[in-house]
Amino acid sequence: MKHRLGVNILSIVTFALLWEIAGRMMDTTLIPPLSKIASAWLRLLMNGKLLENLAMSLWTLAAGFLLAVALGVIIGVLMGRFSQVEHFLDLYINALMSAPMTAFVPLLIMWFGLGVQSRIAVVFLFAFFVIVINTMTGVKQVDRIFVEMARSFGAKELEVFFKVVLPAAMPAIMAGVSIGMGRAVKGMVTAEMLLTLTGVGGMIMQYGSAFATDALFAVILTILMVAMIAMQLVKIVDRRLTGWKAEIAIE
Amino acid sequence: MVEIQGISKSFQKTVKDNTAEIKALTEVSLSVRENEFISIIGPSGCGKTTLLKIIDGLIPHDSGQILINGKRISGPGPDRAVVFQTFALLPWRTVLANVEFSLELRRVSKEERTSIARDYLKRVGLEEFEHHYPHELSGGMQQRAGLARALAVNPTILLMDEPFGSVDAQTRQLLQEELLELWQRERKTVIFITHSMDEAVYLADRVVVMTPRPGRVAEILDVPLPRPRIPDVVRRDPKFVELTNYIWDSLKKAMENHH
Repeated sequence: MKHRLGVNILSIVTFALLWEIAGRMMDTTLIPPLSKIASAWLRLLMNGKLLENLAMSLWTLAAGFLLAVALGVIIGVLMGRFSQVEHFLDLYINALMSAPMTAFVPLLIMWFGLGVQSRIAVVFLFAFFVIVINTMTGVKQVDRIFVEMARSFGAKELEVFFKVVLPAAMPAIMAGVSIGMGRAVKGMVTAEMLLTLTGVGGMIMQYGSAFATDALFAVILTILMVAMIAMQLVKIVDRRLTGWKAEIAIE
Repeated sequence: MVEIQGISKSFQKTVKDNTAEIKALTEVSLSVRENEFISIIGPSGCGKTTLLKIIDGLIPHDSGQILINGKRISGPGPDRAVVFQTFALLPWRTVLANVEFSLELRRVSKEERTSIARDYLKRVGLEEFEHHYPHELSGGMQQRAGLARALAVNPTILLMDEPFGSVDAQTRQLLQEELLELWQRERKTVIFITHSMDEAVYLADRVVVMTPRPGRVAEILDVPLPRPRIPDVVRRDPKFVELTNYIWDSLKKAMENHH
């Protein structure tokens, strides 16, 4: 673990150095040296522009993502438990799972307008389907012997579900939530770039069209950091809920 | 007392659009006395496990009935508990929480179920492992936990489905001895499914030999060995050798008639 952290740091330092050198050597606005990006980042941080836009983006992300988790898990559970529900829905879920969600943006604008609701809807759509499919698969793959054991000791349907099926499916559900988080960040930026130019996505469009590459890179790096922190948060929740699984995998 | 009266059971099996009816059990009848230890032995696929699940009330049967102390059963009940071949311990629960599981479902209060679970873990020699997870234990220890979970609800009838079938030979012998000791102390009716003749005879008061599919009762044999049974003594007893040989012949005959 320690060893790995060292390699990670070495990788970042090497990459940053190469970037800095390349930026200085090329002497063009297309690839600004890292130091210039850092100063642009500080400037945006100081004048409050970055935080203001970031706050707006994160609100969209949180709302859309949490909605996707809540509804995705509920629908996934229903599909996993009841084959009629699965057969009724799986055609649409599977089709939409790999459909390019950006295609729905014009439709969402017509439905929800250009406000925050539309952006939340985009985030939701990006994250929702993968959570549904993973939850459904997880619920379906619960070992029958556990269910049988619980019934044998007198468990009612709801007890079987909450004490056996849900915890057994939790690793698969959390895998879906984790992938969904990554997709939600993509959805957030996409929505801000394609709908109204707000949030960090809006900043990208603005600096892009102004050829302000240093500020542009500063925003992109910020988004990457947000994505990494978001994934880390999911990982922490995952470890709390399914720590037992990780331990089994190690052995 | 458990009375198994004329139990028959068929399954629908679908293979590539062909649905066939498979007869698992035909007219199985057997009376088990209170506190008796019964072994059921038969070739694989003879429906032993199906019979056990029917006695537990987990799956319905087509005809016949199961009476426990004169009452017809219609589902799982607090008078019975199962010990599973693959242990069926929940991997996200510690050993203690796994034993508590059965008590949780019976609405036993938190403090009470912890103290009951601890007590039974002690009886199976796992008191030092209560905070371990199942995957950290050997197969034999996992099955001890499975046994503790079943005993914790204090059933009068213990249904054991090849419980020692997935542990190594040495552990198996040890578990057999421990089970007999427990049974001698707790006095339960035990219905024990196995495919080992040695195990069937060593443990039981009576051995039920079943035929290949569809499972029927071929023979019911008394085990004339004194208790307590000391493994080394029992296994050298001519009566033990004679009986296991007899069961072997009986099983062979049943297989030949089948083909």
